[in-house]
Amino acid sequence: MLRLENVSKIYPTSARPALDDVSMDVEPGEFVFLIGPSGSGKSTLLRLLLREETPTRGSVYVANWNVARLPNRKVPKLRQRMGCVFQDFRLLPNRSVADNVAFALEVTGKSEHTIRTVVPEMLELVNLTGKADRMPAELSGGEAQRVAIARALANRPLVLLADEPTGNLDPETSDDIMLLLDRINRAGTTIVMATHDRQIVDAMRRRVVELHLGRLARDDARGVYGARR
Amino acid sequence: MNGLGFVWREAVAGLRRNVTMSVAMMLTTAISLGMLGAGLLAVRTIDRTQDLYYSQLAVQVALDEPTSAGDPDCTSPTCAGLRQELQADPLVAGVTYESRDAAFQRFLRIYAGQSILQLVRPQSLPATLRVTLKDPTRGDALVGEYSDRPGVRNVVDQRRLVEDLFTFLGSVRNGAFGLASVQALAALLLISNTIQVSAFTRRTEVGIMRLVGATRWYTQVPFLIEAVITGVVGAVLATGGLVLGKLFFIDRLLSGRLISNAIPAVGMSDVLLFVAPLLIVIGAVIAAATGYVTLRLYVRS
Repeated sequence: MLRLENVSKIYPTSARPALDDVSMDVEPGEFVFLIGPSGSGKSTLLRLLLREETPTRGSVYVANWNVARLPNRKVPKLRQRMGCVFQDFRLLPNRSVADNVAFALEVTGKSEHTIRTVVPEMLELVNLTGKADRMPAELSGGEAQRVAIARALANRPLVLLADEPTGNLDPETSDDIMLLLDRINRAGTTIVMATHDRQIVDAMRRRVVELHLGRLARDDARGVYGARR
Repeated sequence: MNGLGFVWREAVAGLRRNVTMSVAMMLTTAISLGMLGAGLLAVRTIDRTQDLYYSQLAVQVALDEPTSAGDPDCTSPTCAGLRQELQADPLVAGVTYESRDAAFQRFLRIYAGQSILQLVRPQSLPATLRVTLKDPTRGDALVGEYSDRPGVRNVVDQRRLVEDLFTFLGSVRNGAFGLASVQALAALLLISNTIQVSAFTRRTEVGIMRLVGATRWYTQVPFLIEAVITGVVGAVLATGGLVLGKLFFIDRLLSGRLISNAIPAVGMSDVLLFVAPLLIVIGAVIAAATGYVTLRLYVRS
């Protein structure tokens, strides 16, 4: 599903590579934690998968796309098959919950009919059916992140990339989000989640890939956050 | 197209979000297009005036006093010889003879009711051979060739006389085009700047669009439409300005007694059917091109 082959990324403004000869494989349906301290290269890795950046060396594959070689005009097609959620939710403040979810469908050219059927489905999936008309400012952090997840899934992505999705949430709300992500994963969506949250990683017992200073430090099939620290 | 409604709504929202800037942009565009339109009208008027004159203009070979007075029918060897020679000249299309009396009658007709008539006697006017040319720009050759012939007072290329008029109209045109190009530059910069501001205020939205895989159609076309709306509204305002300018300035200027016969009037159809469509197309195309270049240079796709 996802494959990195000897990927290095050197930003022109930095002396040290952000990613240094990283190779990894993610099978369809896997749930992978990407851990490591700030600056270890987690976000760079996600950005390479989304083609927000191109690798300095090596190859990136998502499904059948050779991501680094993809012509610009085909990048939207790639991104339509990848959902993203972030620590800061990135909702549009002037649109309702339902409209935020609809936005992803609207700007990828889906029909009115599709939008009318998919939006309620997604809100039901994330348990927000009753809050379709709320504005983002009226939502709790957990609710906002669930809207973001609904939006990310609206186009039925192959992979869900989550960059510290619980970073702004209290532990209880984080657990709810993790339960939701687990459910989504069990329904077949591959998930790659970058996180700092030791408790979550230890509780989930899923594959853990650790980056340290841009290098692959560990890849455990059923890992914990780390013995040390 | 599916996203037409979306793109249109976004473009209109973009214009409304930044009303003062949008209005400034439209007015600047209007002024530059208005100047351009004035220049185009000047060109059209110059062309018409030239057509009008050049079909009538001739080289006048004025005969000297003895010939004018003594040979009213152009039968003397001097006059008839000159006439024959001119008719045989390869540059010449035709020659007509106008006697002193005929010239005076024409003069009376043209200046009927004006005080200059009291000063002019038939003796003031020479008999002339009016020579039309195959190529009206070659009058100089005739002037050089026939000026010193016996029986000739002088040779006047009428084209030379109206050149001042064309020089004046030409400078109106050049001035209008010059101002238009300065204004156009200002309009381009404003459009470019407005699109950058617009893209900046909507960076969150556009960022999310890019993340969920929106194509350029959704991320960029709204900005282009914003620019094109500006261009078209500017062109419409410019046309309105030209209509007012025609009614309240040009019409009055050209209706003066002397000038009304010299320069053909600028018709409303010139403004509405010739200049307006051109301005709209030019406004739209230039705005779109500016928008496209701006998005390419300053805004990440």
